[in-house]
Amino acid sequence: MKYILAILFFGAMVGIYIFLYLMNKKTPLPEGCEDLKVDCSGCHDFGCTNHPAHHLKKEELQ
Amino acid sequence: MIAELATLLVTCVLINNVILNQFLGMCPFMGVSKKTSSAVGMGIAVVFVIVVASIVTYGLYYLVLVPLGLEFMDLITFILVIASLVQLTEMFIKKTSPSLYKSLGVYLPLITTNCVVLNVCLANISNGFDFIHMLVYSVGTPLGFALVLYIFSTIRERLELSEVPSAFKGNSIALIVAAIMALAFSGFAGLV
Repeated sequence: MKYILAILFFGAMVGIYIFLYLMNKKTPLPEGCEDLKVDCSGCHDFGCTNHPAHHLKKEELQ
Repeated sequence: MIAELATLLVTCVLINNVILNQFLGMCPFMGVSKKTSSAVGMGIAVVFVIVVASIVTYGLYYLVLVPLGLEFMDLITFILVIASLVQLTEMFIKKTSPSLYKSLGVYLPLITTNCVVLNVCLANISNGFDFIHMLVYSVGTPLGFALVLYIFSTIRERLELSEVPSAFKGNSIALIVAAIMALAFSGFAGLV
């Protein structure tokens, strides 16, 4: 019973997160905030979406 | 009681500083400390998210997880609560205050991966704090984070204008500065 409760609770939490994520994505950005970027020079973590390499165009990467 | 809370606050901000003493939150510490304005924005966003996340996770743990016997779910629950809260906060700021979103919005997604937030939520439980102590700890820790981030950004702005040997330019000199700051902050250890 305890493990069923745990699975249900986890499912509910994931459901809440997905709902809020989709709601946030649907909410339009305020005027003038369309192209905000973090002023980050970048460490060596290329997985981070704020790494400057993600904002370079294909030609600049080559 | 008040003296005890004041001691806890000073300890969180200066002595057990989350960056210089516990080495948590190093990514924003190095990444968002090049400009003072960015550091202040990040600091405010972290204070806000940690206080809200702590209150929610503390309530959830003692009102839901403990009565249901699901204490072992604390880590996964807190991660999901933090991620959800960041989404909710971002959405709320987008709708209510465009100016605030302009200054803070870009830092909010970064906070989801900031380990300081999860550390504070877990420490509130493992230390067995009551609500008042939890609140003081949850305000003090991000204040310490914001203070160190701000001081570090002012130093890095001055470093940009200094003549640094080429081998030390960039993150190298920044890490040396961080080490000196950690040494300086260790002097606060005798304060309490």
